[in-house]
Amino acid sequence: MTTAIHAPSFGQVKPRRKGLAALLTHHTFRRLTQLGVFLFIAAIAIRHTLVGEGGSTITASWEAYCPMGGLETLYKYITSGGKYVAHVHLSNLVVLVATLAVSLVARNAFCGWLCPLGFIQEMVSRFSAFVQKRVPGVRGAVKTLKKRGAKLAVLDRYLRFLKYAVLVWSVGGAAAYGFMVFRDVDPWAALWGLLELSVSAGLVVLVIVLVASLFVERPWCRYACPLGAATGIVSKLSPFYLKRESDACKNCAICTKACPMGLPVHTATTIKSVDCVGCLECVDECPREGALELKLGVPVFGK
Amino acid sequence: MKVNPFIFGVLILVLFFGLIGGAKAAGIWSVSGKLTSTGEKALPTGKSVDEIKGWMTLGDVSTAYNVPLAEILAAFELPADTPATTQLKSLETETFSVSGLRTWLAQRLDQ
Repeated sequence: MTTAIHAPSFGQVKPRRKGLAALLTHHTFRRLTQLGVFLFIAAIAIRHTLVGEGGSTITASWEAYCPMGGLETLYKYITSGGKYVAHVHLSNLVVLVATLAVSLVARNAFCGWLCPLGFIQEMVSRFSAFVQKRVPGVRGAVKTLKKRGAKLAVLDRYLRFLKYAVLVWSVGGAAAYGFMVFRDVDPWAALWGLLELSVSAGLVVLVIVLVASLFVERPWCRYACPLGAATGIVSKLSPFYLKRESDACKNCAICTKACPMGLPVHTATTIKSVDCVGCLECVDECPREGALELKLGVPVFGK
Repeated sequence: MKVNPFIFGVLILVLFFGLIGGAKAAGIWSVSGKLTSTGEKALPTGKSVDEIKGWMTLGDVSTAYNVPLAEILAAFELPADTPATTQLKSLETETFSVSGLRTWLAQRLDQ
């Protein structure tokens, strides 16, 4: 007896993935990529701390791989004929170029696939969801908190502009003063500063971001990340976009719930938001064939 | 045109790491001010005092700017037996700073 396997037709419910097929998704691919980048930076930071700076062996600092450093030194680099602000090197500029190239071609995918701070926030949110699923008391408390805070949701669209102010301040400040004014409040710098027992205002920001991640996904990326603000603007020129086919979509809003950036995917037709990090979780979670897909084309407009 | 999310992921990685790898291969890469793009230890050239950094040693500066070590030590009231291998940043006191050394050296070279 033979069993015919039929691919679901347009608008039909996709078959549930089982076994190895459930693991071999782009979601797993993305997580492994994020984990790899995070472990690489962690290894660099730990080695740099252990070796120290006084010896004959010279090791790279984790800061040498941060594209934000490249953005902050850009003005000085251009106006001084190749000099950098402190803590920044040629590698920062190269990583910045690579980051902007990814944004130009593949939307804000640096944030969704490579940024380790985005990865940490997603992991905290996953942990929160895991606990809420298993501990009814916590689930109830979070639900109540979210209900009470629902009125604040109206602030969301305005708070998202904050990151552009942070971008102007961090890049403008570095240009005006010749050092990285953003560094002291940078949560990413604060995290690795802990290895050297260095405490800065950024540590307070980091704690706020991690606590907020228990309730809102990627709060730093949504509201305050200056690098995401810059790459988001560049990503508008990317030929990739998300297309929701209203004929196949049943408005279940699973895509919107899956979006770590809180974008209203299920109400849009073409998604080209500057806040879309290209993680494609919405595409992965969409239960209907052809309802939501990643497309290559030239749409200029879209939510 | 529909795009497979896997292909999208591969494109991101190839583009990002390809550009960084290409820059490295072309010698456009340095992860530390202490290293040149070829990975060798960067030393002061003596051309501009702006290049003096805290991680450089007294000996590096003395050699590059052709100024006797004893003269630098005396100018900043540092102990005469301070080794030439001492990093500048470890000497930071009320009487000595890297920026102070740059200013002093610039004035001395102008004379």
